[in-house]
Formats: sequence, C-alpha cells, structure tokens
Amino acid sequence: MSAVRQTTSASPAVRSFEAQWRARPADAWWPAREQAMQRFLKLGLPSPRDETWRYTDLRALAAQSFVDAPRKARAEVRPSPALALLDGSPRAATLLLVNGHPLLNADDAKINGIEISSIRDIARLDPSLLLRFLPPASDADQRRWVLLNTALFLDGLYLKITTQLATPLLILHVSAGDGANDAAHPRVIIDACVGSSATIIEQYVAQGEHTPLNNSNTHIALARDARLEHYRVFATGPGATHFDSLDIHQDRGSQCKQFTIALGGGLVRATLEGNLRERGASLDSYSLLVGHENRHVDCVNIVTHGAPDTRSRQTARAIASDFSRVIFNSKVIVNAGAVNSDSRQSCRGLLLSATAEIDTRPQLEIHADEVKCAHGATTGRLDPDMLFYMLSRGLDRATAQSLLVYAFLADVLTGMSVTAARSAIENALISQLPDSQLLRKFR
Amino acid sequence: MLEIIDLTVRVAGKEILKGVNLKVNAGEVHAIMGPNGSGKSTLAQVLAGREDYEVTRGSVSFEGRDLLALPAEERARAGLFLGFQYPVEIPGVNNVYLLKAALNAKRKAAGEPEVDAYEFLALIKQKMKFMQMSEAFLTRGVNEGFSGGEKKRNEVLQMLVLEPKLAILDETDSGLDIDALKVVSMGVNSLRDPQRAVVLVTHYQRLLDYVIPDQVHVLTGGRIAKSGDKSLAQELERRGYDWVLESRVA
Repeated sequence: MSAVRQTTSASPAVRSFEAQWRARPADAWWPAREQAMQRFLKLGLPSPRDETWRYTDLRALAAQSFVDAPRKARAEVRPSPALALLDGSPRAATLLLVNGHPLLNADDAKINGIEISSIRDIARLDPSLLLRFLPPASDADQRRWVLLNTALFLDGLYLKITTQLATPLLILHVSAGDGANDAAHPRVIIDACVGSSATIIEQYVAQGEHTPLNNSNTHIALARDARLEHYRVFATGPGATHFDSLDIHQDRGSQCKQFTIALGGGLVRATLEGNLRERGASLDSYSLLVGHENRHVDCVNIVTHGAPDTRSRQTARAIASDFSRVIFNSKVIVNAGAVNSDSRQSCRGLLLSATAEIDTRPQLEIHADEVKCAHGATTGRLDPDMLFYMLSRGLDRATAQSLLVYAFLADVLTGMSVTAARSAIENALISQLPDSQLLRKFR
Repeated sequence: MLEIIDLTVRVAGKEILKGVNLKVNAGEVHAIMGPNGSGKSTLAQVLAGREDYEVTRGSVSFEGRDLLALPAEERARAGLFLGFQYPVEIPGVNNVYLLKAALNAKRKAAGEPEVDAYEFLALIKQKMKFMQMSEAFLTRGVNEGFSGGEKKRNEVLQMLVLEPKLAILDETDSGLDIDALKVVSMGVNSLRDPQRAVVLVTHYQRLLDYVIPDQVHVLTGGRIAKSGDKSLAQELERRGYDWVLESRVA
C-alpha cells in the first residue's frame, strides 16, 4: 500500500474513512481509488469556507467515526413505505440497492431492455469498462464527497440502455444501518447508448432506526442523440444525512430531463454537475426542495456548456417552513468556443414561516461571445394580493394559503412525464406542507 | 343593507378617505363616480376587508352587522362581493376550482351541503354561456393569461355564481370595448333584485347607460361631495369633476 500523508489534524470522520480505505482489498480500479483518497485526505471535509458549502456546516459530522454499513440479505429488507413512483403494471420494474449493495435476481440481467450488472461483476468481467466512468480526481469543493465515493464504493449498479424504452425503471436505494455510525457509498452508472431513450427513477428511503450516512454518486453518460428522463427522490427520515452527487455527461444531440426532489432527510446535500460536451446537447433540470421541521436541504447545480449550440434550463422551487433551511446554488459556465449556448436559471423560493430560511445564488461564468444566458432568483412570502383575492371570494385563510403553495409547486410537477411518479411525489409533498388535509382536496 | 358613517381610512400613513357617509338599501343600484385618486378603489377594497388599510374612524354596518369587525372571508360568506379593478392572476390555481371552493364556503356558512360536482359544472357552463365566455376558461389558472376584458367578464361570472347580496364592482367597465360592456352590463342587470344591492364604482358615465343607477354619488378628496339621481352622471359627463369641486366651494 502506498503512503498516504497522515494528517494529524484530521477529524475523527476523516480518520475513520481512511481506516476503511486501508482495509479495502485492491481491485482493478485501485490507482483511481488511491488517487481519489489521497486528494480527499489532503483536502479534508468541506467547510463553510468552501464556496459551495457556505451554508452547510459539517462540524458535528466530522466529530463522528464511521464504519461500513452492512450488506443485507434480501430477507432482512422489508419493503419500506416507499412512494409508489411506478404504476402497478406488470412491466413496472424495481431494482433494490441496500446500503449500496444491489440485490439482483438471476433474471434481473435484462429488464425491459436495460442490461443490468452489479459493479462487482463488472470488476470481474470487464474492469476496463468502469474506468471509462470513474471521474478524474478533482479538488473542486463540490466534488469532495465524490472523491470519497470513488475511493470507498464497494458495489453498485451498471445499467446499459441500448434501445428506446417505454417503461420506467425504479432503483430503490434502501438505507438500513445496524448502528448510528454506519456509512454507505452507493454508486450507479447509467450508460445510455447512441439513440437510446429511457426513464430511470432513483429513490432513497430508509429502513429501521439507524440510517447510515449516505454518500451516493450517480454517473450518467448520454451518447449521441440519447434521451433520458432521470429522477432522484430523497425520502428518508429526519435523522438521515445524505450527500448525493449526480454527474451527467452529454454527447452530441443528447437530451436529458432531470428531476431532483428533496422531500426528506435531516441534511440533504444534492449536487448536479452537467457537462454538455458536444454540440446540440440539452439539459433540463428541475429541483423541488422542501424544507420543514428543522431540516436542511442544500442543492448545488453546475452546468458547463462545453460545445457550441448547447442548451440548459434550471428550474428550482424551494419551500421552507418551520425552522428549516433550503439552499439553491446554481451556476452556468460557458467555455470558450461554446458559441450559441443558451441557458436559463430560474429559482423561486417561498418562505412559510419567519424562522425558515432560503438562500439562492444563481451565477454565470461566460468565456464565449454570442451566448444567451438568463438568470433570476426571487424569494418571498405568499403574495398578499393573491391571498386577498381568494379571501374575498370566501375561502378560509388556510385553504387559500395551501392553494397558493400548491400552485407554486405546479411548475415543476407538470414537467414530469411519469404519471405515477408525479402523483406520488405530489402526495408526499403535500403531506409535508401545512394544511395537508386541505391540499389533498385540490388534486 | 349597507350603512357607512364617517368612514376615515389611512393607507400607508396617508389619509385617503376622510369621512365617507353612504346608505344603500336593498333593491338599489348606486354609482360612485369620481376623478382618479379620489379614494373610490380604497372605499371598495376597505369594504371587502383589505387588511393593510387602516380604518381610523367611522363605522360600516352590513345587514345590521359590524362589517369592519369581520375578516374578508366572512364578509364574502355573508354576501358581500368585490369585483376587482385589477383582478390578480394566480397561475397554478384552477379557475373553476376557486369558484367551486368559493361557492362551497358560502354554502357551508349558510348551513347548506356542498354543491354536487355535476350540478356545479352545469351551473357554471350556463353562466359562462350567458357571459359569452369560452369553455377554455374552465381549465385555465385564475385569470392566467386573460386579457383585460376577459378578466372583467370572469369577475362578473364569479358574481353570478356566488349571487351576493351586495356587489361592489370596482371599475368593472374600464378597459372594455362596447360589446364587452354590454355583456358585463347584462350580467349586472341580471342580478338586480329587490333583495340585492349593487354599488358601481366607475370613472365614466357610459356604464350607466346600460345599468341605470338609482343614485349617483361623486367621491372627491376622500368625501362624498354630491349625490343625486342618474341625471347627475350625465351632468358630470358634460361638465367634468371640477364642476363639483367648484360648486362645493360656492
């Protein structure tokens, strides 16, 4: 094992991650993992001094020591009260990952035309394949947990889409710990081949009283003219801490529609990095971030236009009630030469209590001429004119407020093409808002 | 039905209404006219229960109840309706849903059961036909993307469905072409009834060619400066509001 500089000032968390790493057997990807771990150890956990971590303090987490979350047998996994994101049709398929370990049946190798393997099997059969999808080590602060995932992931899923598929696939990530200090590093790779199309939903839920620290990474590669609708839905309990990084790489003419839905978790940090690396690639990202109780939702979107004629849209709706805090940082980077790039960032925040907080920061970094880049962010309370209008029609205040909240979310919900997912997400959203009983009647 | 005594109202620290007195009986149609900035819209909004308007003096009784003590929603359920000068757009809230919720709120307050979904749809389609509105409005957000005239028709449609005892229409005629004005007037006239009253707030006399008022009042400088029958409106049209001010001084 090569020498890694042991930092004496390392926090208990960092030391425990290093211990896990030292105990890992070498595999086909060892050089990449080692490089990632070295970067991580050098940089340490992010702190509010890092640009994309300004509003999220990990000091409490740093004081903990973590161990690998256990592998679970299928019998130990009880179907949790997950949202019914798929309809009941016989073709609807769900893949199960528990603490990052896939529980695949023999007939799961191909579902509805998607080729499915565990990453462990890839390591055995075709290790060079995965190397294409391992990100290079980066010092960027938003990628700190990706470094750790690269160094420590034990298993995960590799999905290869080769044709045009009509039926959505659900990946249910279950967090199920044996103790308070468990950590899991799930990894999913979605390889969408030339001209393919698919819908993939990833949902994160928890089971049992111990929810492991979840440090997940999903890597999506869209080849030429591929189309993908991707959902990530965070629906864990108030005790859960989740760092999720989503990397999307898009080739010529590919189209990606992405929904990030934060409904649960005590601390959810969701990063999306979109890389429009070839001409004509297009990314539509929608984020619905709901904070209630004293939850903390921190969402970072960074979209890079790396080629001419690329297009991106970022639409975020943040709602914060009680003592919660919701953060949405978005950035569009237009590289030199990426002429005719077209981007729009829109973030609207809705504060439902005086003790809640929403921070939004849209940013632009443009190195090319002839581009169209728009951004806007507004945060406020319910519109008093709209409220008065409804009151003047006899609606009681709670109903009027609920209707306005519901209307606020509609922009994102209406973009979803999976009807079952939309209605389940709508239901779950409603249940976290004040006056949920009233809101249900509007549907 | 409505009795306003010495109503004085401040908006953002500025006194806009300076002692308004007005009595409207059931079965009557009153027109309140006046130049811009005279306080007409403030009067309409304060009667409907707008909260950021501060009543510093005076009283308003509606069917014997202290109107000012009621929140906006209870005034609506008691039978008061405000047709807005600038109806707000509420994207994402369905037009029909709002109307149904409004009707049910009123029925609930009256101890009646909620309206049946089919009956409601039939009712609303009938009223929309009367108001010459396209059924496309059924599926749209409240006033969302409506033209000025469509918004005003929608206000009158709501009034017809809710059948208020007292309707206050704040410049419902402004921005309407002559055909729309006729439709809106027809809507208002259809509500005329010995049990109901209508207060038309308007800048121009032309609406009063179609909805004949029993009384006309001129509101200027926060007070009712002159009252009369429908001929007062015609005289105002001829001589302008300055004439009222001058005749007061004289």
